[in-house]
Amino acid sequence: MWAFYTSFTNKALVGLDAARPRFVGLDNYQRLFSDPDFATVIFNSIVFVVGSAIVGQFVLGLLLAILLDHAERRRYRFASIAYAAVLLAWVNPTVIAAFLWVAMYDFFHGSLNTGLQALGSAPVDWLGQFPMLAVIVANIWRGTAFTMLIFLGALKTIPTDIYEAARVDGANAWRRFWDHTLPSLRPIAALALLSITMSTFGTFILIQTLTNGGPGIRTETIALYAFHEAFRSYAIGYGSTIAVVMLILNAAFAVLYLRWSRARA
Amino acid sequence: MHAAFLAIAAFFLAPFVWLFTAAFDAHAQAYIRWPEQLTLDNFVQIFDRYAFATALQNSVFVAVSTMVLTVCVVSLAGYSLSRIELRHKAWITYAILLLQTMPLSATMVPIYGLARELGLRNSYLGLILIHSAIELPFLVWLMKGFFDSVPRHLEEAAWLDGRTKFRALFEIVLPVARPGIAVAAGLSFLSAWAEVLMVLILVDQQGMKTIPLAFYETFRTAGGYTEVQYGLVAAMGVLYVLPVMAVFFATRRLMVRGLMSSTRGL
Repeated sequence: MWAFYTSFTNKALVGLDAARPRFVGLDNYQRLFSDPDFATVIFNSIVFVVGSAIVGQFVLGLLLAILLDHAERRRYRFASIAYAAVLLAWVNPTVIAAFLWVAMYDFFHGSLNTGLQALGSAPVDWLGQFPMLAVIVANIWRGTAFTMLIFLGALKTIPTDIYEAARVDGANAWRRFWDHTLPSLRPIAALALLSITMSTFGTFILIQTLTNGGPGIRTETIALYAFHEAFRSYAIGYGSTIAVVMLILNAAFAVLYLRWSRARA
Repeated sequence: MHAAFLAIAAFFLAPFVWLFTAAFDAHAQAYIRWPEQLTLDNFVQIFDRYAFATALQNSVFVAVSTMVLTVCVVSLAGYSLSRIELRHKAWITYAILLLQTMPLSATMVPIYGLARELGLRNSYLGLILIHSAIELPFLVWLMKGFFDSVPRHLEEAAWLDGRTKFRALFEIVLPVARPGIAVAAGLSFLSAWAEVLMVLILVDQQGMKTIPLAFYETFRTAGGYTEVQYGLVAAMGVLYVLPVMAVFFATRRLMVRGLMSSTRGL
């Protein structure tokens, strides 16, 4: 509620407006929607969410779950190491994840460039040239475990006798997967997708630490934009406006999510 | 198949390998290598020069208090939601869940403003309250699920024996719901331990810093903005991440099951 009210004022952290915020009506909203930076910020947010949540975490998580489920029946040794590694990347605090990737991407001595140079190719300025790709990869590294866990759980609930029946009918592994596994994962997939979309949408610390939204505003997502306007430019009123827009977008996702999950129940 | 799993493990483990080797390296670099000179000097330095002990103390205090407060609140709230008949109960439970989906980064500006007006900046109380609030909706939901699975006739029998509702809850129901409480305690501790955004905006006094803030600042400012003191920061990182690994892997099965049951209940 405070955010809603403040978003209609010109409250600031310093100066005259800090002591006596005035009611400015819809001015902040008008400013936001005519702000050329805001279009870029929205675009960046969409690229980040599609790249890291939908393409990255979702596809990789699904793939990992299928591989691990398959491996569990055959008892592969490396599978449990891989499983623990994915979980480890997920539970460690975000600042750590961000710091680890800063070191990985380091231009002069980072593991990635040292590796590249050992292979005889030129070092790449990861955070300068491909900042969006860099933050997306780091976020995939951090967040894939969630989707993986959800799909692993879902795969366990598929009764094995439908596979037996399919095998008797002469369906090959690919057919069995396409006709039986994927359809039974569909309802939970929708929920997992929305849920990671929401959490990715709010990603802040990772991007802030890796690139601080830069270079320029090439990785500035809406969460960083709200933070920078409110705390770096000291425009709390304007920052609140951005926060309100974020909350509304997020509420839309959430309502969709509840609809789908209730339809399942 | 083996190659696939090896590649996955390498991708997810490589950063950690670097973290643990760099922390013990006298001249840590940003790339993975076996330390030329094994040393504990990095750890000594962060305690001597970067007041890591204070940060550690603050973090433990805030995280443990958060855990205690959260467990009390979510047990009672979860039990009430599970047992008491209310009008529009479905709506209330969904509203609680809706709160959980709000990203922290969207609420940080209003939280900052409110905390400033209520005088909760640079205070333990403020940090504990806000850290408790972060996971509260999800954990209420989780505990409701656990209490739903405790049969009602257990406590009804206790009431017939003449126990009050509270005594029945504490003596009969809570012991049965112990796995749920363990999951709630573990998750709230981990979340309070790892949370950095709220600390970043609510704390600016040296003595109040928790580990994530000390870590963030050492990382960004020690050695200037251009050169990161990798060895020191890695040492802090190791001390910061070890409790997380310990708590998580000690209770891994329970945690994963708790998380799964909650997503299934959605």
